[in-house]
Amino acid sequence: MLKIWSMKKEQQKDENSAEGNGAAAPKKKKVTAAQLRAQKDLSELSLGTTMSTEFPDPDNILSFVLYVEPDEGMYKGGRFSFTFNITPSFPHEPPKVQCREKIYHPNIDLEGKVCLNILREDWKPVLDLNAVIVGLQFLFLEPNASDPLNKEAAEDLRNNREGFKRNVKIAMGGGSVRGESYKRVLI
Amino acid sequence: MKVKIKRWNGVATWRWDIPEDDVCGICQVHFDGTCPTCKYPGDDCSLLSGKCGHNFHMHCILEWIKQDSAKGQCPMCRQRFEWTEQPNDMSMDTTHAPPEI
Repeated sequence: MLKIWSMKKEQQKDENSAEGNGAAAPKKKKVTAAQLRAQKDLSELSLGTTMSTEFPDPDNILSFVLYVEPDEGMYKGGRFSFTFNITPSFPHEPPKVQCREKIYHPNIDLEGKVCLNILREDWKPVLDLNAVIVGLQFLFLEPNASDPLNKEAAEDLRNNREGFKRNVKIAMGGGSVRGESYKRVLI
Repeated sequence: MKVKIKRWNGVATWRWDIPEDDVCGICQVHFDGTCPTCKYPGDDCSLLSGKCGHNFHMHCILEWIKQDSAKGQCPMCRQRFEWTEQPNDMSMDTTHAPPEI
């Protein structure tokens, strides 16, 4: 009878003792669960033609920038970027996502905080980064006035859709809306 | 021709008794592999089946379910996650290596 269980135990013992006298064993960087999962998600990312990613530190896949250039809807022609920070507890916690540009949008506040259900209360670990970027894309196509972070923008969208559209154009062009000045994000 | 068996090696493989190409929804690793914190698959890193029919690595689902934000729900279907009493059995699939002649 083959002794696989005792063989396994011995192997484990060897590894433990190797870890014990750390200097002798070659140092191997431990890949965390978050890194493994992020790697998988990133390899399956479908960015399409309107999105791209950038890794400021190529050795750190847990922190990157996503560029979104909507090709339809009210934000067409703009270019927005989001920082993604994946915490060590990913995928049990959602990635932290923030918009880098000041934007006139009911669901993104002037500091760039994003109101998207799957980034907060509706996150679950079976969701992946693709779900998040689809969610962001959706925010540009269908800004949603019912759950606002920027109350003024939401008011405009609810009460005067055409006026809201105009304001989006003005803000993206680098003008001022309701006393707030915006940087030009048109491409 | 007379064949005399001098020595033979028994070889066995095992896999979890669930569809072959299934991955754990939480870590996205194949069920026959381990969760990301374990080294050895098998009894050390077992699976947990929910009454809703969704399976996960035990370590993955316990990590999730202990969080407040999980609200005790299955991450796949958001039904209350209750695990079945009977854990998945390992199905043994035994094959013998050809005897050495």
